[in-house]
Amino acid sequence: MTGDAEKAQEAFQATLREAALRSAKGEPPADRLWFFRDARWRCVLVGEEGLQSEAGTLEEHDISPQAATQVEQLHPEQLAIWISAAPEPQRSALAVYYLDEFTPREILLLLDLKASELSEFISSGRRQFQAWLNATTPVDVYEEE
Amino acid sequence: MSIFRMSKREKVLARFAPITDKPGTERAMRIAVLRARRSGKTAKEFTHQQAFDKAVAALVQETPVSAEIAEWFRNEKLIPQSKRTWRKVARNPAVLSVALAVAVIVGVLVFIVMERMKDFPGAGTARKMLTIASATRAGQLDPLEAEAGSLGDFFFMKYRLEHYDVAPEFSEFRASACRVFDDDEGHRVAQISVPEKQMQFFLFPAERNPKDARPLQFTGWRYLEHEGWTGVVQVKDGVCFMAALRGEEQDLAPYLSKDSGAGNGGSSGR
Repeated sequence: MTGDAEKAQEAFQATLREAALRSAKGEPPADRLWFFRDARWRCVLVGEEGLQSEAGTLEEHDISPQAATQVEQLHPEQLAIWISAAPEPQRSALAVYYLDEFTPREILLLLDLKASELSEFISSGRRQFQAWLNATTPVDVYEEE
Repeated sequence: MSIFRMSKREKVLARFAPITDKPGTERAMRIAVLRARRSGKTAKEFTHQQAFDKAVAALVQETPVSAEIAEWFRNEKLIPQSKRTWRKVARNPAVLSVALAVAVIVGVLVFIVMERMKDFPGAGTARKMLTIASATRAGQLDPLEAEAGSLGDFFFMKYRLEHYDVAPEFSEFRASACRVFDDDEGHRVAQISVPEKQMQFFLFPAERNPKDARPLQFTGWRYLEHEGWTGVVQVKDGVCFMAALRGEEQDLAPYLSKDSGAGNGGSSGR
């Protein structure tokens, strides 16, 4: 979400502190989605403080059969940076979706999105990431093998 | 049209299909995923999509987590466990189906119990007589012109049937035909046709106690309905008398004297 481990940790700890405070007052968070919702907004706020990505249309490619192999070549930090550069709410959508913790319904509730919106964000994000993968780890490398 | 042909909405859902199977996934999503896997046109793309998503999710799982954050996560008390509320349980289709089935079974049982409570000794035979009444045609009975009350002697004289007497409440009606026959259990039954509201009278042996073979008694008049016919039954001296007509209980009620104690479901004093 932030593309910066320190900032993410700060946001995360602030969320936990808030939860601890609420619990101490006898008003604990209603459900586990509260944590992710709160952490998300803190991350979004942190992201707004730094440099902003320029608005523009990213190139999109069809998902390649070798995509899994291409992804395996990456470091988690590279993926984090790529996702953190996406505009909101696509950034949150990609982050929450690939966290693989929630059911589709929970994601829609968490992000307050419609199914068609989430579908578009994930689909276009996937294709944009594939285009980036093709640029950084070209498919022909695998085809030659 | 193939059952795996995807609708526009299913295509939308399939684009953010769960990366791994999750227990709470909605039915619409499960169907969309199933169709995406089976649909010839999109199955290949969907397979690539899922492989892509799994690879990315695996990469996310490799994200290093600091010891400090891991320690925070151990504090599970901060995250309340989601409890299954009774409303959520009640909305479960399986629970709803079971509840509906139980309700139907209970309803049937209550109906049977209510029917049993209405029953009286000889009710089964009386119902058979109502079936016979509904199926009897004019030509099946022997024509005669007599007061119904006088037919008791006729039955005794001709058929040696003792106590086959028409109840006093109905004895003054003119009978137009009668017959005596054996029912399916070999009991002798007397059937009388009366022009008044096209009523039919039946006289048949009362049900007997299997232990001592004594006739089972009940007090007053008992109503019963069957196949659109209504009968009112009384037992006397081991013989049941039933007056029957096509109609309802209220059509028979006026013929019973107030002090004769007609009842339904065990009640009396109508």
